[in-house]
Amino acid sequence: MNNFKIFISSAVFSFRAQFDWLNPAMWITMKFVLSLSQMAFFVFVGIFAGAPIAFIAVGNALQSISWNTVFSVINITGHDKWDGTLPLVLATPANRLPLYVGRAMIHVLDGILSAAISFVFAVFLFGVDFSLTNPIALIVAIVLTAFTMAGFGLLIGGFCFFFRNPMVFANIFTFCLLIFCGVNFPVTSLPAVIQPVSYVFPLTYGLTAARNAIAGQDIIQIGPTLAIQLVVGVASMLIGYVLFRSFENNARKTGKMEAI
Amino acid sequence: MSMPDPFRVVYSAFRMAMLHWMADPQWVIPNIIAPFVFTTVALTLFKDATGPFGLYAVLGGGMMGMWGNTIYSSGFAIEFERWQGTLEEVIAAPSKLIHVITGRAVSNALFGLTNMIAILVIAVGGFRVSLGITDPLMFAVSLLLTLLSVSALGLIFASAFILSRSAQVLTNGLETPLYIVSGSMFPIALLPFWIHPAAYILGPTWGVDAIRLATSADYVSQSFWAGMSPGMAIFLDLTVMVLITLAYVAIATVLFKLVERRARVTGSMVQA
Repeated sequence: MNNFKIFISSAVFSFRAQFDWLNPAMWITMKFVLSLSQMAFFVFVGIFAGAPIAFIAVGNALQSISWNTVFSVINITGHDKWDGTLPLVLATPANRLPLYVGRAMIHVLDGILSAAISFVFAVFLFGVDFSLTNPIALIVAIVLTAFTMAGFGLLIGGFCFFFRNPMVFANIFTFCLLIFCGVNFPVTSLPAVIQPVSYVFPLTYGLTAARNAIAGQDIIQIGPTLAIQLVVGVASMLIGYVLFRSFENNARKTGKMEAI
Repeated sequence: MSMPDPFRVVYSAFRMAMLHWMADPQWVIPNIIAPFVFTTVALTLFKDATGPFGLYAVLGGGMMGMWGNTIYSSGFAIEFERWQGTLEEVIAAPSKLIHVITGRAVSNALFGLTNMIAILVIAVGGFRVSLGITDPLMFAVSLLLTLLSVSALGLIFASAFILSRSAQVLTNGLETPLYIVSGSMFPIALLPFWIHPAAYILGPTWGVDAIRLATSADYVSQSFWAGMSPGMAIFLDLTVMVLITLAYVAIATVLFKLVERRARVTGSMVQA
């Protein structure tokens, strides 16, 4: 089997596997409910606090990508452990890189769909003005954010091979994005000591680029931000892959594949 | 075989849930992380605002901690049994399912209380939010009754979750809408008018109003009972909440009977 086939089959199977515990109707319902409810919650808190609503709505629209590309991707590791498929994954002779990276890829498309739904809510329910938006730049920012956040999901997913309960990490890392990445308030509102942490997350760059695209900047103007985002995302993905291989090697040596 | 004493069943389920938690305490993290993050975001947004925002953010975050724990626990109570292959035994036992779930709901509510305390400590210690409690006795009573109300609502969720393989997803999906509708972190008046009835049928909506009143007497002008004395306002809040909670218990009892009967007839419980 060539690498491309491995990549595709890994992508398709990891996405289809979630329908073992989730039916498609529930999947689409939750896509709307999660996107709307999180955005609405922070918008109402923002209204109460006198904060800018458009900033909050756009931030949560783009952050909705993380539910697919971070939470779901980390949980692939969890399901491999719970469903007993981890030994099969490690027993296959397939090339590990397309196998590991591929498992996140349909979640990238799913994340883009979540963001699209959320932006519709931002426009029609919360009156966010997109009249100045450069659509090409915004679309590129969204797609790149989904891809790089999947890289971040793979990084944490790789780390989670070494722990019993990846769900814990999925929750922590998905929700913490709300604090660190400038989703509801600018990164500069955080204490200065914490601000460098924000730039570990690809979402921080994606949000900056998306907000600038909405303000009318074109792809050339947001290019440098996207370039840094791409570097951070790919680096995350590769570190995640290294962690996965490290876990695999350790599991083979010690025979402790699932005894964590 | 005679039907076991309901209290013994409730206690056994309570004890079992406690033991599960002690065996794997990391499960508290998913329950507390969302309320903690939401509180942090709210406190940051409220940083430059003047008014009773700390009261809303911190007590709201604490309430969300209780909510989150109850909803998660209700959803996962059945899911865990499915994963571990013990759901058949629980159903086959002569005990009533509602008694088993009640024991778990009470233990989960107790964990929810620890969530609330953790968020209060973090907010007061980490964010230096000043939170003097005007009436400690009524604060404790309101908190306890709200906890029971949240647990009773958890029973209704649990009954609905039994027949669904998507309980875990429903749990994730229900969490934030409930935070919104109950006005945990902002006044319900900000919500669209058509959402208000949904807020009023949630017991914790009234509970959080009573808790805020017990914390600050000045809050009475923003409560449901503006114009009354704080003591009377708390009494009315708690009365409404207790009545709603009794209704929850009645509804949950009927639902559990229906769900259990349906699951036994169709054999669909484990395969749902």
